[in-house]
Amino acid sequence: MSEIANYRSAPSPHRSDGASVRRIMLDVLIALLPCLVCGVAYFGLYALLLVFLCMAACFAGEQLYNLVRKKPFTFDLSALVTGMILGLNLPPRAPWYIPLIGGVFAIVVVKMFFGGLGKNFANPAAAARVFLLLAYGSVMASYIGAQPGDLLADGETGATWLSGGALAGSFLGVRGYWGEILQLFLGNIGGSIGETCKLAVFAGGVYLLARKVIDWRIPLVCCLTAAVFALFFYGSARDMLRHLLSGGLLFGSFFMATDYATSPKWKINRILYAFGIGALTMIIRRFGIYPEGMSLAILFMNLLVPVMDRFILPVRFGQTDKNGRPVPHVAAWTMRGLCIALAAVLAAATPAYAAAEYDEPQKVALPASYSFIRGMAADRDRVYYFTAEGEAYLDEYNYTQPLAFEIEIDTASGVVRDIRPITQSTMGYKAELSLFIGKTYEEVAALTDLSADSNLSATFTNTALKGMVEECFLAADFDKNRKFERGGEYIVDRAHSELFGGTAFLAAGSAYLSEYDYTQPLLYYIVVEGDTVSSIVPLMQSTMGYTAELSLFLGKTRAEIEGLTDLSADSDTSATHTNQALKEMVLECLAAGGEK
Amino acid sequence: MGTFANGVHPHGSKALSAGCPIERGPEPKAVYVPLLQHIGRPAVPVVQAGERVLCGQLIAEAAEGLSANVYSPVSGTVKGVLGHITLSGKKREHILIENDFTEEEMFLPPLADRSREGILARIAEAGIVGMGGAAFPTAVKLGTDKKVDILLVNGAECEPYITCDYRVMIEYTQAFLAGVRLCMTACGAERAVIGVEDNKKDAAALLARAAGENVSVRVLKTKYPQGAEKQLIYACTKRTVPEGKLPADAGVVVVNVQTALAVQRAVEENIPCYERVMTVSGKAAGRPANLWVKTGTPYRDLAVFCEGKEDCGRIVSGGPMMGESVFSLKICTGKGTSSLLFLDKDECENRNASACIGCGRCVQACPMGLSPVFIEQALLGERWEEAEAYGALQCIACGCCSYVCPASRFLVQSVKLAKKKLQERRAAANVRGGKKDV
Ligand code: SF4
Ligand code: SF4
Repeated sequence: MSEIANYRSAPSPHRSDGASVRRIMLDVLIALLPCLVCGVAYFGLYALLLVFLCMAACFAGEQLYNLVRKKPFTFDLSALVTGMILGLNLPPRAPWYIPLIGGVFAIVVVKMFFGGLGKNFANPAAAARVFLLLAYGSVMASYIGAQPGDLLADGETGATWLSGGALAGSFLGVRGYWGEILQLFLGNIGGSIGETCKLAVFAGGVYLLARKVIDWRIPLVCCLTAAVFALFFYGSARDMLRHLLSGGLLFGSFFMATDYATSPKWKINRILYAFGIGALTMIIRRFGIYPEGMSLAILFMNLLVPVMDRFILPVRFGQTDKNGRPVPHVAAWTMRGLCIALAAVLAAATPAYAAAEYDEPQKVALPASYSFIRGMAADRDRVYYFTAEGEAYLDEYNYTQPLAFEIEIDTASGVVRDIRPITQSTMGYKAELSLFIGKTYEEVAALTDLSADSNLSATFTNTALKGMVEECFLAADFDKNRKFERGGEYIVDRAHSELFGGTAFLAAGSAYLSEYDYTQPLLYYIVVEGDTVSSIVPLMQSTMGYTAELSLFLGKTRAEIEGLTDLSADSDTSATHTNQALKEMVLECLAAGGEK
Repeated sequence: MGTFANGVHPHGSKALSAGCPIERGPEPKAVYVPLLQHIGRPAVPVVQAGERVLCGQLIAEAAEGLSANVYSPVSGTVKGVLGHITLSGKKREHILIENDFTEEEMFLPPLADRSREGILARIAEAGIVGMGGAAFPTAVKLGTDKKVDILLVNGAECEPYITCDYRVMIEYTQAFLAGVRLCMTACGAERAVIGVEDNKKDAAALLARAAGENVSVRVLKTKYPQGAEKQLIYACTKRTVPEGKLPADAGVVVVNVQTALAVQRAVEENIPCYERVMTVSGKAAGRPANLWVKTGTPYRDLAVFCEGKEDCGRIVSGGPMMGESVFSLKICTGKGTSSLLFLDKDECENRNASACIGCGRCVQACPMGLSPVFIEQALLGERWEEAEAYGALQCIACGCCSYVCPASRFLVQSVKLAKKKLQERRAAANVRGGKKDV
């Protein structure tokens, strides 16, 4: 045997579980990659530049500080992690100097001044975000929407949902509420670079959980608490889910609240800490002046961590009090109880709220600007609720009376279910609602005698209401089987029409009315059957007589319409322009084809 | 399946030696028998240089107070009582005996009195100490005057690599169980529970079949430090030993597998305690084995016997979690030496401590519910009340905290130091307080 000589002695234990600081930091960087990729996909390469600048600023800031203080350089990747998290927290169009200032602030002021890795009292990224928000408020709050032509170009919203931005009526073919949720989940909305795409956040978070880098208690309790608070603050299960998927809540609870140095060391304290963050975030969102509260909440709870760490300690194994009695595990059971209570409340209250909301009509986005319809909602039985506005000329008074009605169309039976006046004449020139209630579209359209005992003003009111009801019928019909497909230049969307039994298009365009030097917006409901135009209903065109001559197109094929050369309308130029515009629209609809 | 709170899951690495039947170890040319192989005071030599001794002859007598007899492991000539290095780095008294390889043996007189007192006296006479590592004189432990109802046998063997207790349980099943019964009588317990981790299911099954009345086997979830006394008691009986109290206060006495075997050998075969089964293992051991090893065998003899390899990066006496790193192969085995590990360079951790990142893993891992990270900070800042509040005095030095620390901090050493400082301060305060009373 050759002599053993090269062995070294070393302190125990002689094994470790293999975890290292560098590997942990690397894992966090890996986990942040999906967020970065989605951020760049949605917001463009400039977002990548911002994140890169931020990481560079953090790294350089740390090394410069080391240089000045004559300390050894640090290559533990933690500065890059801070830089990446802060970078992903920035608005996608922030000026280039923002990441530099933020990065240096995060590393030098928040981290290095307090002793470096592990010694900072506040999360560097959260502190820097709040600092930037205070110092560069307008820049930090200017979110842009996802760019047209990006991955999933359906919704176009500028502001974040939290700051009042609207969501699209449908997303990737999923309509209504679940479309919104899908949109929020996939992150095709305004927001910070890395936090809009919840799918990416989850992917990274699950990776960190699987690698045991973060404690599952923090994200879970954070979101659970935020959910319960949102449910009661907004009284709505739908808003609760919207809130969970909005802003930095998820990103923060996976990547920022879990920061080692600034979160409690004992698992039970982490529950309290995460509860605080979740609750504070919702309190700030609901009552605060900022639309988003995650960073502030994290920062605030960071300050409480040393107190928790010092005064809420694990009960030692076999610990006894002065009288020799075992010390009860008060903190542990309280926190476990809190978690169970939160989960129980959520499980019990959500279905109740959701059931109540399910019967309520849900807002439906208008596909285009209608002449009369201002708002539209539908319930689960596909009864549509409209608010429509119009006007009637009261001949007797030479006065234009504004009108507003609530109109309910039941698409299952195809009739007007109810009409409620909101605004109309108070002088007796009221609409005769019985003319319309219970009638089908054909019956309403066929109404010819709207005279009200030869009271001219009331007749005008009835006539105006008839137009509104017809528009409501068409809008409901269109929405019911809407396809959510954008067309070319004119087609807003297409739908299967139950009223006309063909493919309905909403086509919007405009015509220049030369007599008035005015550009008239146009909106037509065009039905195509096979390769012919079967119906055209004008929803918006001139009210002064320069209307399109529909008979030019009805029943015609594409070739026939293409062959139309004479669109002149009794040498009325404006009407001719209208006809020409309609021709283009009809041709586009025919090209788009009938039922698919 | 029983277990305890927190702890860690190191890879077992037991396959290296678990299949190796127990064999005779090396027959050393010379043995250095330590006078202090146990907790307490060193034994007092009763032989002189030049005297011939037989294997099994008393060579040092228990000192007054806590101590234990020491017997010669070989037949040969006493060369003298001399200082020899030990694991701790300090020189301590050893009796050097040159082996004459005649293997002449001497036995204890047959024992007729199998009452509690008789057995206890024999255990003390045979110099038996706890063989799990702590080496507390067994007669004192079993002779407690507290009411004990359960004798707990530690068959957890939770340290990686070590398989000697496992081999004893499956190869010496009957003798071991007889030893367990003798220990029950010695401590007055009505029943015995043998705790075995579930990575040794075959041993558990074998024991369960052979155990007989009042002896039961408890299978435990494999986790470190299952074999730590208080953790084992909790895992097997759900009893918690209060801080500052002994297991006997909870009605339990814990003995190791090989302690029970040693008791059986002393009582029924009249063999005193001068050898034990040890595991020699590790990837740098060419021939991992479970061996009967005589006390006082130099580690070098074991290295030769088991073909320790040149690329060995570290040698550890005991398990990789709590075992001490060997700095010289001249050091010799004692009654409490359970294993010698030859670890190659990939098997052992080289710690380069960096700044604590505050991950809290050490807090989650500590089986005693301490906060190692804060104890270390308190130690560095010399804030003693804080160190005590975070529990430094309760540390069992299991090493779980260091094991999980990603910053590779020397946490167990820090906590041990804080504990020592606190104990010193307490002692000093007591002295001062005592003076005031006068
Ligand atoms: S502090 Fe002591 S008891 Fe706790 S894990 Fe560390 S060594 Fe084990
Ligand atoms: S495990 Fe190490 S790095 Fe983590 S808190 Fe404890 S001492 Fe700090």
